Amino acid sequence: MSASYQAVGWNKQKKKYDWIIFSFCVVYLIVFIGVTAYVNPDYTFETVLVRSTSTLALLLLHVILSIGPLARINKKFLPLLYNRRHLGVTMFTVALVHASFGIFQFHALGNVNPLVSLFMSNTNYGSLADFPFQALGFFALIIFFLMAITSHDFWLHNLGPKVWKTLHMMVYPAYFLIIMHVMLGVIQYETNPVFVLILGVGSSTLIVLHLIAGTREVKKDNEEFGLKQDGFVMVCGVNDIEDNRAKMFCIDKERIAVFKFERKLFAVNNVCKHQNGPLGEGKIVDGCLTCPWHGYQYLPQNGQSPPPFKEKVSTYDVKVQGQNVWVNPKPYPEGTERKGANF
Amino acid sequence: MIIEILLVPVGLYLFCGFVFAIAFIVKGVSVIDEGAHGGSIGFRIIIIPGTMVFWPLLLKKWLRAKKQQHD
Repeated sequence: MSASYQAVGWNKQKKKYDWIIFSFCVVYLIVFIGVTAYVNPDYTFETVLVRSTSTLALLLLHVILSIGPLARINKKFLPLLYNRRHLGVTMFTVALVHASFGIFQFHALGNVNPLVSLFMSNTNYGSLADFPFQALGFFALIIFFLMAITSHDFWLHNLGPKVWKTLHMMVYPAYFLIIMHVMLGVIQYETNPVFVLILGVGSSTLIVLHLIAGTREVKKDNEEFGLKQDGFVMVCGVNDIEDNRAKMFCIDKERIAVFKFERKLFAVNNVCKHQNGPLGEGKIVDGCLTCPWHGYQYLPQNGQSPPPFKEKVSTYDVKVQGQNVWVNPKPYPEGTERKGANF
Repeated sequence: MIIEILLVPVGLYLFCGFVFAIAFIVKGVSVIDEGAHGGSIGFRIIIIPGTMVFWPLLLKKWLRAKKQQHD
């Protein structure tokens, strides 16, 4: 949150995840290099390193892009979301090693600037079969670089959430560039169709996951609420909300999370100030609504982060009639105290 | 050809960014963002690459913050 910045916001869980990521990458590279050395002993070390890091980066990219929709489909995947940023930086680092060795092997041994050689050694930009696919990988790497260097909260705060989010949504164009980079490279260098098949399975999985998550989201956003009274809308029954948890509703384009805490109901805006995470998918921890994405916290009664933090979200009126929960979608200014509804 | 022409200004831009980044992490970052007060040295180092890229934006923020301090 917005207290003093640290280089990396490590806690016990994040350290554990980072160790898992690191160990996985090391084991993957060792196994890939070992198997390749056994199957194709003629390959140079540079070639094996270029290939092992390329496949590892591609695998990590698919995992990263799967985490968002998976977490929306099933809450069990939420812990992965907390660590996605670290996974992204890891993926960029692996991709950078791949690019560095690729450029060294193919472009750094002549008397032309390696970056110039990257774009000028093959100028068949009009041919699909001979397209200079390395240039596509270079542009994707630039996007990953910009994402990696702005992955600290300092940049979110100083670029602003909109610019920051737009920059990080560039991962999708970068993914397209990577797919083209790999496919065109495979066409030129490989005869084994298994690479195309694996890539096809990966891309299809991503598309299906995004479609399922997106369809659910649209369905939730378009939910019709029949009963309305004095500006209030009946949203659910009291027992539909678990203790210390929330249910989310989209009423008149307002995304609202209704939390149940200490025999009371509170309604706040569902969108976390940090990275627009869904507050309603989080839970109450130490008396605070806690965003499932990065642990930003807000007090249920006023939507303010506990001191010394300064984030605020809008609050709403909520009431209970019988066993039904009613919410007024008209927002109060961010941080406005509301007394909540007893039940 | 275009690449050769582009590399020089890009290199110059990043060099200016590096020079700016040194002053920025020492002083400017605490002026424009109160979250940097008491921030670790690791934090200041980790923002150097981003500062080299986004330095015009940060310079503008720094100048604006200084002006507000004087007013």
